[in-house]
Amino acid sequence: MNFGLTDEQVMLRDTARALLAKECPPILVREHVDDPTVALPLWSQLKDFAALGDGPCTDLCLFVEETGYAAAPGPFFATTALFAPLLAAIDHELLSAVLAGDTTGTVAVAGADGHWMLNDELVKTFVPEADRVDWIAVVDASARVRVVPSADVSTRQTRTVDFSRRFFEVDTAAVAGAPAIELDPAAFANLTARAMAALAAEMVGTSRRLFDMALAYAKERIQFDVPIGSFQAIQHRLAECSLAVERATAAAQYAAMTLDANDDERFRAVHVAKAAAGNAATRSAKDSIQIHGGIGYTWEHDLHLYLRRAIGSEYWLGTTSWHHDRLADLLMPI
Amino acid sequence: MHLSWGPEEVAFREELCAFLDEHVPPEFERGYDYAGEGEGEDGTDIVPEWARQWQATLFDHGWMIPGYPPELGGRNCTLVQTLVYLEELASRRVIRSFHYPGYGIVAPSLLEFGNEEQKNLVPAAVRGDTIWCIGMSEPNAGSDLAGLQTRAVLDGDRFIVNGQKVWTSYASVAQKCFVYVRTDPDVPKHKGISLLIVDMDTPGIEVRPLRHLSRSAGFAEVFFTDVEVPVENLVGGLNDGWRITQGSLAHERAGLWVEGVCRLDATVQSLIGVAERCGRSRDAGVRRDIATFYEQASSLRALGHKGFSSFAQGSSAPEHSYMKMATSEIGKAASEYGMELQGAYGAVMDPERGEESGRWVNYFFLSFANTIAGGSSEIQRNIIAQRVLGLPRS
Ligand SMILES: Cc1cc2nc3c(=O)[nH]c(=O)nc-3n(C[C@H](O)[C@H](O)[C@H](O)COP(=O)(O)OP(=O)(O)OC[C@H]3O[C@@H](n4cnc5c(N)ncnc54)[C@H](O)[C@@H]3O)c2cc1C
Repeated sequence: MNFGLTDEQVMLRDTARALLAKECPPILVREHVDDPTVALPLWSQLKDFAALGDGPCTDLCLFVEETGYAAAPGPFFATTALFAPLLAAIDHELLSAVLAGDTTGTVAVAGADGHWMLNDELVKTFVPEADRVDWIAVVDASARVRVVPSADVSTRQTRTVDFSRRFFEVDTAAVAGAPAIELDPAAFANLTARAMAALAAEMVGTSRRLFDMALAYAKERIQFDVPIGSFQAIQHRLAECSLAVERATAAAQYAAMTLDANDDERFRAVHVAKAAAGNAATRSAKDSIQIHGGIGYTWEHDLHLYLRRAIGSEYWLGTTSWHHDRLADLLMPI
Repeated sequence: MHLSWGPEEVAFREELCAFLDEHVPPEFERGYDYAGEGEGEDGTDIVPEWARQWQATLFDHGWMIPGYPPELGGRNCTLVQTLVYLEELASRRVIRSFHYPGYGIVAPSLLEFGNEEQKNLVPAAVRGDTIWCIGMSEPNAGSDLAGLQTRAVLDGDRFIVNGQKVWTSYASVAQKCFVYVRTDPDVPKHKGISLLIVDMDTPGIEVRPLRHLSRSAGFAEVFFTDVEVPVENLVGGLNDGWRITQGSLAHERAGLWVEGVCRLDATVQSLIGVAERCGRSRDAGVRRDIATFYEQASSLRALGHKGFSSFAQGSSAPEHSYMKMATSEIGKAASEYGMELQGAYGAVMDPERGEESGRWVNYFFLSFANTIAGGSSEIQRNIIAQRVLGLPRS
């Protein structure tokens, strides 16, 4: 197994990092709280990378690690990690326009319980960015897919702790009669795994942001005449936190590699990745606030923007405990 | 980034497997999770005869340290092939040797810092014909190794050594010892340390075995009273010992992550078996806990490989600093969980109740060796904070 990046991958990651640092500063994430349209110029930059939606999972993951680092709002994740792979799996004619960045979409699967699993409910939950994308792909209980204009369904926002990612409840009753395309349930399982792996990678980026902020603060904040980062209690907390982030980084990359290889390990690896990323995200969120002290508790400080993204992501596409439970089902079949 | 090994590694593994299928001694079927404990109390059976023969067989076939040239028990393998080798051995729960200091610390240190004559000691150290022990720790110098006080005074063509080492593993059976001594007490403590090769049968050396927590023989105290050591046994320069300690510790850590990770994997797999035998494998809490251990173990394996990939590309691999601390701490938690799964029987250690009885208590005890020896977990966290994260020293 080789975790080394190719020259192209290094370039992709560096480009993403520089682009997001410039186009998605904390002020944009903050303004997005009250005005989602501020994310539009960002999308006009990110859409050049929409083709990642149908490439190797490892490349997509490298990119979304950076969108997670920036807590980027907008339709990029929904379009590339959910919608495009689904279109590819059903050989849909819209795919080329999506990969060209000319149109956007999202996917509606979960029912009332919020789990990304096949069900026959008409009201779909936790559909990201449903009001601002062009298309919604609705997946029914037998994994049949209906790709419909988002304007054809009614949406209602479900507000969460995270302002940077917007979720919607979507009533699909009006489009229940639209033409449907069969998706092999095994293909659905792979798509789900890919979405979870991409989210894990995104969360690794958010965790790293929170960790970097804590580390930088620990080096600059002086108390008792020394940087707080010289105190062992702070050092050991940061050492453990960085372990959590490093472990999650490796687990997410490994999961992406197993998906690209269609390896038998892939489902286990994806549960491991999302759980490790959830652990890293919540841990770095908590440690970072604690290490910042009072300033970290303020609305004015940017820390909470990333804390919110971290917590919101933990609860999407399966919590850490949910992934542990699914992993247990694979390790210890009943 | 890609998952599979290339054809060269696959062919390499096949050759290795053919060798192992033919030569692995049957004694390994009993399962060896840890070497370095005898059954008796004096420590003389720590390295059983069959294990000595196994190590010699590996050496003679070029499978002891595959990255070394044939005359040193290897076959000039690449780094990646070495990784394949370590993983294959660990997945079979086969260990190369029952005494790691010789091949793991002494050999690489002598190859890097020794003179030509000292390098001649390497083949026997790797083949296991010479058993070595490492005399670093002292009663007043543990984590703070540089505080060591065992004194060596140059007197013509020999050093006179006086002092005491402690926790010296293999001292009861070793022929030679790497002894770190103070050769200049008047300079800052890191600058006055030297490394000597000492024959354990030199007059003035007394070894007093100490038993491990488990009650079995393990390490020892070693006393030095006017021990004469020829000056040519100095390794590296006079007062240059600290640099070598840093080298030997790095050698100790470099390949150990694979064994740490594989041992942890095996422990987690065994937990599943215990849960089944104890009728707890359907308990939702137990299932979640075991999956959590699995998640930790397999993400650490990925982290080790990730570090290895940068190492093999010639970059530094900060990932490896995490591995010892993480695998040992999680291993401790997992072995404690093995006890907990057995309910009221968790603390039973009664041979009449079957071979398994007390196994997890033993794992639990042994797990402390890993969180204390070779740099405790607290010291590892200091290292991560200061060297990897760049935080200021306190
Ligand atoms: C099974 C086993 C085999 C061993 N084999 C050998 C051997 O072959 N040769 C040899 O030379 N030694 C050997 N050792 C010794 C081992 O290296 C030392 O035990 C280890 O370095 C710790 O030193 P210490 O025991 O003096 O503990 P101390 O250094 O006294 O530590 C006590 C406690 O204080 C903590 N502590 C110390 N300093 C700090 C700090 N700066 N910050 C935070 N916490 C700190 C430690 O983490 C530990 O929890 C062995 C030990 C064991 C358990």
